[in-house]
Amino acid sequence: MRSKAVPFDATSSAPRGAMPRAAYVHVPFCRRRCGYCAFTVLAAHDAWIPRYLAAVERELADLGAPREVDTLYFGGGTPSHLPRDAMRRLAEATTDRFPLAENGEWTVEANPADVTRDWCRTVRERGVTRISLGVQSFSPRKLRVLERDHDARRIDESLRLLFDAGLDVAIDLIFGVPGESVEEWDGDLRRAVAASPHHLSTYGLTFERGARFWGRRARGDITPESEDSEAELFERAIDVLTSAGFEHYEVSNFARPGHRCIHNETYWLGRSYHGVGPGAAAYVDGRRMMNHQGVLAYIRRVERGESPVVDWEMLDAESRARERLVFGLRRLEGVARGAFQTRTGHSIDDLAGSAVERFVSLGLLEDDGSIVRLTRRGLMVSDAMWPDLLRPEVAAPREPARSNRAENAP
Amino acid sequence: MPDFDCSRIRNFCIIAHIDHGKSTLADRLLELTGTVTRREMRDQLLDDMELERERGITIKARAVAMYYEHEGTRYELNLIDTPGHVDFQYEVSRSLLCCEGALLLVDAFQGVEAQTVANAYLAMEHELHIIPVINKIDLKHARIEEVLEEMHQSLGIDPDDVVKVSAKTGLGVPDLLRAVIDRVPSPKGDPTGPLQAMVFDSHYDDYRGAITYVRVMNGRIEPGQKIRFLKGGTNHEVLELGQFRPRPVRCDSLGTGEVGYLVCNIKSLDLVHIGDTVSTAHHPAQPLPGYRVPKRMVYCGLYPADGQDFDELREELTKLSINDPSFEFVPETSEALGFGFRCGFLGLLHMEIIQQRLEQEADLDLVQTAPNVTYEITTKNGEVLEIHRPQEVPDTGSIDEFRQPIVRVNIIVPTESIGPVMTLCQDRRGEPKGNEYLSPSRAMVTYELPLAEVIYDLHDKLKSITRGYGTMDYELIGYAPADLVRLDILVNGKRVDALSFICHRGDSDRRGRQVVKKLKSEIDRHMFEVAVQAAIGSRVIARETVPAMRKNVTAKCYGGDITRKRKLWAKQREGKKRMKSVGNVDIPQKAFLAVLDTGEKK
Repeated sequence: MRSKAVPFDATSSAPRGAMPRAAYVHVPFCRRRCGYCAFTVLAAHDAWIPRYLAAVERELADLGAPREVDTLYFGGGTPSHLPRDAMRRLAEATTDRFPLAENGEWTVEANPADVTRDWCRTVRERGVTRISLGVQSFSPRKLRVLERDHDARRIDESLRLLFDAGLDVAIDLIFGVPGESVEEWDGDLRRAVAASPHHLSTYGLTFERGARFWGRRARGDITPESEDSEAELFERAIDVLTSAGFEHYEVSNFARPGHRCIHNETYWLGRSYHGVGPGAAAYVDGRRMMNHQGVLAYIRRVERGESPVVDWEMLDAESRARERLVFGLRRLEGVARGAFQTRTGHSIDDLAGSAVERFVSLGLLEDDGSIVRLTRRGLMVSDAMWPDLLRPEVAAPREPARSNRAENAP
Repeated sequence: MPDFDCSRIRNFCIIAHIDHGKSTLADRLLELTGTVTRREMRDQLLDDMELERERGITIKARAVAMYYEHEGTRYELNLIDTPGHVDFQYEVSRSLLCCEGALLLVDAFQGVEAQTVANAYLAMEHELHIIPVINKIDLKHARIEEVLEEMHQSLGIDPDDVVKVSAKTGLGVPDLLRAVIDRVPSPKGDPTGPLQAMVFDSHYDDYRGAITYVRVMNGRIEPGQKIRFLKGGTNHEVLELGQFRPRPVRCDSLGTGEVGYLVCNIKSLDLVHIGDTVSTAHHPAQPLPGYRVPKRMVYCGLYPADGQDFDELREELTKLSINDPSFEFVPETSEALGFGFRCGFLGLLHMEIIQQRLEQEADLDLVQTAPNVTYEITTKNGEVLEIHRPQEVPDTGSIDEFRQPIVRVNIIVPTESIGPVMTLCQDRRGEPKGNEYLSPSRAMVTYELPLAEVIYDLHDKLKSITRGYGTMDYELIGYAPADLVRLDILVNGKRVDALSFICHRGDSDRRGRQVVKKLKSEIDRHMFEVAVQAAIGSRVIARETVPAMRKNVTAKCYGGDITRKRKLWAKQREGKKRMKSVGNVDIPQKAFLAVLDTGEKK
């Protein structure tokens, strides 16, 4: 759906009054674009930073009076790529509009190559509590294939600096890089566990339109790993990380007890959030919105006093409930029937009773009568289940009307 | 203006292989006789259906009357356009009956092709006077001498009789017109005898109903006359008579030897049978010989991809059959595909044409099953069954004899391909019927083959073996007993009726393996293992397994991903709806043609 203005829908049954307790800020700058990246990013365009900052400040100002939030998240791009002053200015503009509650969580994504003692001090001073470090791998070969600009030594060094600064540390790992063996992946997992971060996310390498890898794959220049070997690597990660004491709490996310990413849980639990910057998504008053993804287009819109929102949709109560069911099930603790009904006004059994039953019989879901959750096998193939949960159940095919029973040509 | 004295009438047709320039030559004749001015000339005037243009094939026969002054005498020249393809052989033969002469057109570069031979023989059988013509003599690569030799070798044509033209530039076309007047005999018939007119074509006009094309053999027709279709058994009043010049032009009568159209307020083409005889209602004459009910030789199932479109599909098929009574359809039900239609066609090309029309004229998403030929079965208790779909084959135990249609196939190939082509025909259970060298570089190979093999892959194979140079034509010669079996395909133990097919017992292992392998590649991994089996009766002869899905999970799902992913997943559900479910297995539409897969890369 597209619209110039965002109409106010007074008839909607969206949860009102509950103002978002989370805010996301998108920082679209990078030193260079990695081959697998299809995000909203400007590589080597630092000259745009001042106009970008001014635009974000204006977008924040247009959101109205300051309101406290529990979580802030600076994602990218590479937020750590911002020069020190720009980082300070962005942090200040954000907390002016969204003061962080006491004991709030404030995450900033960082590239190991950018992490210095000075940088740690800068973010710590502003109130940042948590760094999501784009490690991706410790293997020189994988880092080379992924076109990353750091090496394992730099990772160790940045981890030490972050720990020293008293920051919570989350790291990302990618598996399924072309040519990756179980041994190579085991090496990554071992070093990740040894580094002892508070949080770990792991993703299979994907090929997305807009990334250089997309074209290289189309040309046959790069070959994705098979479904079977990706499955093996993913299961390996789950086994190694859970036995090292991490809690596997969402499809791709693992945390030390008490260190889940509260901000991301906002998304998965269907709670509302603000989003600022190019390509940022927001969910306010039951309306899902998306800012223009083009950095320059975003800046121009804001400069002209227009809304940067280009896509938005208003979900009805049933769609909201279905969405909540799907994203809730992606959290491994599952969805509790009672809480779900209280929260959405719909019962799981009315929405998708027979699908749930079918998936239970296939061993993909577990259902103890009060909580529905993914099994290990269900987790592995969960995308194949969601279509059936997002749409009403299909009725049995109907015999076509046979009113005019002409058996043949006239 | 008509009726014309018989001695000044010439009725002729042009027979040629596709692309040898028939339509261009017709255009030149229309132009030269002043029937159409150059300004009015649209290229290839006779092929006025879009589809015909696209495929370069004339599907429906037409007739155009031309008037031409030659040495002080005015002549009526009726050019009867014939369909060039074997599927319409019966229609061709009816058209030929209306002519006394035929222009046999051969491309100066391509030379004699299979269709040239087939149609030339047909013309000779009808005792038409043949005027051989070499076209495209202006081509740089024209090989006139060799083509003359080929015509001599394959058809016994005297090189001195051949008229050389370029239909494109008009070179030699006046000589050809003179040859038509001098050499084509004038029609014989009794102008005062009882009316007998041959119906050789028809088409449907939304405002005037059926337009019937006739050639008057004896007697005459006038408006207001009460006529009778002798085979159809219906009586009508002639409302209008006329000729195509090339637009319809009314006339007061059609006399013996003349060709034209009648309009009788007939509401359905079903009542007009190609080959029927028109006579007077009060004192009907004897019917002309040779009438036949057209036999559908190829059948396939057509199903709406979305069950909701069933009624729309029926409407579209009805529309098509109004204009083409040789196409038939009846409702059928498949466990796998739901409600659809079994459709009968004269042949493979006819089937393709109907499918294309459906695609062009109707915005419908269709699932087609693999085509099959019409089989015959005599049961143990002496009953004879005509089998239009594999599901109708009874238990092996109750079959006394299983028969399949056999065709005689003429294949013209470059001499270096003779070996491989013979191997191909041998592999397809063909019986050699002759080899003939047409020239040092080309030869004609004749085989008798099961029609089922021809519709399976013979044409594609021939084209690939001969690098596109081979041409083939075939005619039905009858039915012969064969050791045939029905192969069933099971998906997770459930028989998929729409995938059953009939094949020779000796080929069943190979075909069964190919089909299950192809299906394995077409069926996506499911959340469980999917077994695909081929079986004869209860005996499984081939099996493949589609392993269960192992990993299908989106890793990143944060802010903006939520909407994107939800939409993507919801859309996948729509995509699944268009697949056909057997048990819990989703089978994509195109898998229903897997039976045709030969397991080899083309």
